[in-house]
Amino acid sequence: MPSPSATTRRIVGTVGRHAFLLGATAIMILPVLWALAASFKTPGGIFDSNPLPSPATLDNYRVATRDFPVWRLLINTTVMAAGVTLLQLLIAVPAAYALVRFPPRAHRVLVALIVITLLVPPQSLIIPLFLTISHLGWRNTFPGLILPQLYGTGLAVILLRDHIRAVPSTVLGAAVLDGARPGEVLRLVLLPLLRPALGAVAILLFITAWNEYLWPSLAAPDIDHATIQPGLAAFLTQEGPEYGPLLAGSMLATLPIVAVYLLASRRVTDAFMHSGLR
Amino acid sequence: MANPSLIAGERGVDHAPPVVRLRDRARPWLYLAPLIVALVVWVYGPLVFTGVLSFMSWNLTAPHPSWLGTANYSRLVHEPQFPHAARNTLVYAVVMLPFATVVPMALAIALWKRPGRVSTVYRTLLFLPVVLAPIATAITWQFLLDPLSGLVNVVAGWFGVGAHNWLGDPSSALYSVLLITSVKVVALNVLLFGAALANLERGLLEAAALDGATEWEITRHIVLPHLRRTVVLLGMLSLVVVWPWIFANVAVLTQGGPAGSTDNVYYRLFTYAFTFFDAGTASAAAVVITGALALVLGLGLLVAGRRRRAIA
Repeated sequence: MPSPSATTRRIVGTVGRHAFLLGATAIMILPVLWALAASFKTPGGIFDSNPLPSPATLDNYRVATRDFPVWRLLINTTVMAAGVTLLQLLIAVPAAYALVRFPPRAHRVLVALIVITLLVPPQSLIIPLFLTISHLGWRNTFPGLILPQLYGTGLAVILLRDHIRAVPSTVLGAAVLDGARPGEVLRLVLLPLLRPALGAVAILLFITAWNEYLWPSLAAPDIDHATIQPGLAAFLTQEGPEYGPLLAGSMLATLPIVAVYLLASRRVTDAFMHSGLR
Repeated sequence: MANPSLIAGERGVDHAPPVVRLRDRARPWLYLAPLIVALVVWVYGPLVFTGVLSFMSWNLTAPHPSWLGTANYSRLVHEPQFPHAARNTLVYAVVMLPFATVVPMALAIALWKRPGRVSTVYRTLLFLPVVLAPIATAITWQFLLDPLSGLVNVVAGWFGVGAHNWLGDPSSALYSVLLITSVKVVALNVLLFGAALANLERGLLEAAALDGATEWEITRHIVLPHLRRTVVLLGMLSLVVVWPWIFANVAVLTQGGPAGSTDNVYYRLFTYAFTFFDAGTASAAAVVITGALALVLGLGLLVAGRRRRAIA
């Protein structure tokens, strides 16, 4: 039996791959596109089965930004997510550095204890965390919003540890031979090399914190410190559901993240490819 | 491999004066201290606290807890809701597993095989479901799955499938919530598998191709083994991280219904704690959940470790 030529096989493979990618992508972004279109629909039009907005209106965005403190919520969310990301990195970088470069005797146990914290369901911590910040009078404050989310720092440590391990030890060893102290090696040699990895981890942490729903809804229910995710739920209860403004608000909440991703992703992936880190 | 002498200490430890030796011994703990404090204060402390609370009777609106013994646990076992929620949780976890591993892995490999502008566009589009606000995702699906005008029923109609109340029917509500959530899981994990693939040396594949290996052989013998660790990690991590997403969908769309069909142990826990303010029962539920998860993940790690040894 003659085997199909390499070219035929390659064409079939390419078509198959694109059909698979196209199908999966279409299914996955359909809800996003529907939500985007619906955010321009009139209150009546949203119940139509026509997915396109006709007539289209900006009313939902007007309601979301004028009658509802969407900007306030977005600023709060930015402060919270940036705070969580920054603190986690500040704690995780030195820890990961120490675990790779001068692991203490007990480092296996320590790593196991860190990995376990990744696998503890946050929901089982929520009652003590809630009681703690209530007791400290930290409800509706940024420390109350941000600090308990440090329970997730272990993930940053484990991810960064893999990246630091991939840095050739000769590079760091050379700096040591030149007389650099461990702190200097970290700051002057390792951090510049790690920048792409730090960027990727930071994006992951920022998005996770940005999308956090349960904790902010318990820790900061007041509008002064409320974040956008639970804040959007206000559209569902205040005198009947207002779906249009809710979707408009969530588009405004999604936009900054997409912008961050678009700006950073090229640089992060490029840097991954060209850094020589593996 | 790293040079062991460079790991053991930045300077020769053996002939150093005692002060330097002490500094070398103390140094790792200095760098690790903030992490240890954070994890003790925000994870291990609360875990112990939860364990103690699970033996207490405490309505969160009352000033003080009182000792109760194991009554919270026997309540969980004997009332019908919790065992039912536990069974549902198992279904959630098992059905979610392929969406956390095989599906995103296949997409990530397909994207990685032919890098270029088209792949970048796909990657960006696939990222969008991750960042759509959880509550907007839930509301959108509420409209898409609407029994009368929802797009899903319209499309199903083209294929001769009659209109169905996906979220209102106990036989389909759980799977509807699962599929809605799986979109986010797939989208996030495509990204993470992509990151793992970025570490794979392309030269290795070119060499294999020159030696006459077919595309499938390359995938089977080089790419998949490279991803094994990531599959195990993401499979296990997904068992923990998907619950906030499932929670948001259940809270907005079904509140655990209809007839308890979308209920799960995490939603139960939340209901005990913040609907009934019953901190004791909620804590007992948290202990049971954490223990069961530890058992599953421990067994998973054991199996994964053994298989790796068998292959190597």
